[in-house]
Amino acid sequence: MFFIRYLGRELRRRMRSAIVIALGLALGIGLVITVIAASTGVKNAQASVLRSLYGVGTDVTVTKTPPAPSAKGGPANGQRFSISVGPNGAEVCHNGVCKKGAQTISTLFSPGQAALPYSSVSAISKLHDVSAVAGGLTLTDNKITIPGSAGPSTSFNAPTSFTVQGVDLARPNLGPLSAGTIKSGHNFAASDTNSNVAVVDSNYAISNKLKVGSTVTVGKTKFKIIGIVTQAQGSNPPQVYIPLARAQALATNGPGGKHMTGAVNTIYVTAASAADISMVQKEIKKLMPTAKVTTASSLASQITGGLASAARLAGDLGKWLSILVLFAAVAIASLLTMAAVSRRVREFGTLKALGWRSKRIIAQVMGESVSTGVIGGLLGIGLGVAGIATINAIAPNLTATVTQASGLRFFGQGPGGPVSSAPNASHTVSVPWSATVTAGVIGLAVVLAIVGGLLAGAFGSWRISQLRPAQALARVD
Amino acid sequence: MYVLTDVTRLYQKGRHTVPAVRDVSLQIPDGEWLAVQGRTGHGKTTLLQLLGGLDRPTSGRIELDGRDLSRMREAAATRVRASSIGFVFQTFNLIATLSAADNVEAALVPLRIGAAERRRRTAAALESVGLSDRARHLPTELSGGQQQRVAIARALVKEPKVLLADEPTGNLDEGTREEIMALLEKLWRERGLTMILVTHETAIANRAQRVAVMSKGRLTIRPVASTASGPVPFATSPGQEAPQPAD
Repeated sequence: MFFIRYLGRELRRRMRSAIVIALGLALGIGLVITVIAASTGVKNAQASVLRSLYGVGTDVTVTKTPPAPSAKGGPANGQRFSISVGPNGAEVCHNGVCKKGAQTISTLFSPGQAALPYSSVSAISKLHDVSAVAGGLTLTDNKITIPGSAGPSTSFNAPTSFTVQGVDLARPNLGPLSAGTIKSGHNFAASDTNSNVAVVDSNYAISNKLKVGSTVTVGKTKFKIIGIVTQAQGSNPPQVYIPLARAQALATNGPGGKHMTGAVNTIYVTAASAADISMVQKEIKKLMPTAKVTTASSLASQITGGLASAARLAGDLGKWLSILVLFAAVAIASLLTMAAVSRRVREFGTLKALGWRSKRIIAQVMGESVSTGVIGGLLGIGLGVAGIATINAIAPNLTATVTQASGLRFFGQGPGGPVSSAPNASHTVSVPWSATVTAGVIGLAVVLAIVGGLLAGAFGSWRISQLRPAQALARVD
Repeated sequence: MYVLTDVTRLYQKGRHTVPAVRDVSLQIPDGEWLAVQGRTGHGKTTLLQLLGGLDRPTSGRIELDGRDLSRMREAAATRVRASSIGFVFQTFNLIATLSAADNVEAALVPLRIGAAERRRRTAAALESVGLSDRARHLPTELSGGQQQRVAIARALVKEPKVLLADEPTGNLDEGTREEIMALLEKLWRERGLTMILVTHETAIANRAQRVAVMSKGRLTIRPVASTASGPVPFATSPGQEAPQPAD
């Protein structure tokens, strides 16, 4: 076909500038592919961390922020622990009832989240666009050892703690446990609702030498381990799972607070479809005006550490850098195309003399530009795939730190004066991740290549449309 | 048939206005060979470009078979050039990346002829100029004379009514000049073309049936040494007598 022959021969003649244009576009497109793939990989890693926190299929979570502390500096529910340790001995007071001497304080409580009535779960399940809902209690089991006395150089041992999840056995398909795989033993049965049985996380089991049949003490109560569960690598799941009813009976709403019978502190909700998430969020907020209703995207902001930094880097810097490089590549391609058109003014004047319409000549120039763009796109895909392979080969695991307030605040008189501390339960995990390329990204690369070629050709085409044949023929090469 | 009526073409050069063609009135019957002679810069090429619809006159009319080229839209003028007018240039103006055959075929592309028919006509055109064996050669692989013959084949492959040749022998040596002129004359006779040939050489101009002399944009007709078809109508610009050519 004449069009193809002319196009091919012209590209061969301008091989050097065609290669420069193609390489420039390839660089821009390769960078876009690499950044998108890295960004997708980081988002997938974030999602896996979130999934382990909240379980598979959770689109919306409902919690409640506890009320502000009272003027005396203690929890708003008026319950108060105070600890005094000095050279003359130690005293722990709970609501004015005091005990002297060395002792261990063991508490199971809801850290930093207020209670929600379990009846809310049923109310939410009746909302339009909600396909599943479950309640849960996310708790912290804390143990602190108070010495009998303390001098100026005495240091306190940090509290030991582990996370406990009360699992809603009436709705077991949502929540953090639903994301795991039972490695040994078995999961809860519906009949375990009021039993002192537990499933423990595999990492926690290994570090505490636990197995199926061992016991674990939660809230000063012994639970028999019936199963070991593994979660996604790099996630930060609860360490011990017990039936919700048992958790409600043993836990308090804050240290020294009321028991949480009939209460949950997290409600997990699945929307009917991704498009309904926003509507579901609004409906729950209308139903429960004092609750905090969050979606997966807002939960991502709780995650800090290398994972969060990588997400920002890929999202902000990476995006703008790749756009800048692509823009520069298209600009250079446009300038080179215009220069080539200028050199061919006499040729185009001759074609017009032969009876070629401007549109036909423009189509020829655009064809040359788009061909160069497509070559650049193919090279760019190759560069992008190489970039992804390089990232996957050398990129280190990212860290993700999820910090949750323990809800424990100590007020006391230590050897050096008043003492106050509010330790957090914070977990840093290593998150493996990989850059992921999808068919959509490849398609985007092809589209960018064609658009880049069209834009470059458009500038040259404008030049041709302004060409007067007589002036063009008068040009001396 | 061409009818030119008071055709003027002015160019603006800064503050100055340059009259390239001034008040030219002329009739060119079908099948005539008209030479346009004159010194460099006196308006010969401009007149040729006006006749080919490559430029528009500042004032006046140019009619080709009753159609006013001077007021035609660019698309319409392009269609006229595609079907009815062939061009031959001094510098050949072949497309460097295309072979001789592809250069000739380029003239048929706007006519939307099927590929097979284009190839057949291209081959016939190259044969008529004696270059069948050079069909696949690039212009850089051809001599000046061969390149001009390809250009002539390109101009005539679409079987135009008019052939406009701008100094077709200007870049050729003497021997090749004669060759090309003989070829043009032969093709003119065989095909009954209307041929308008611009030249600054009297010897070449005298081969035509009629010679128009351009002098500072004005046109006069001068007698030729002999004409094959007898007396032809004179044409002048107002107030001008026929001057003698420069060389």
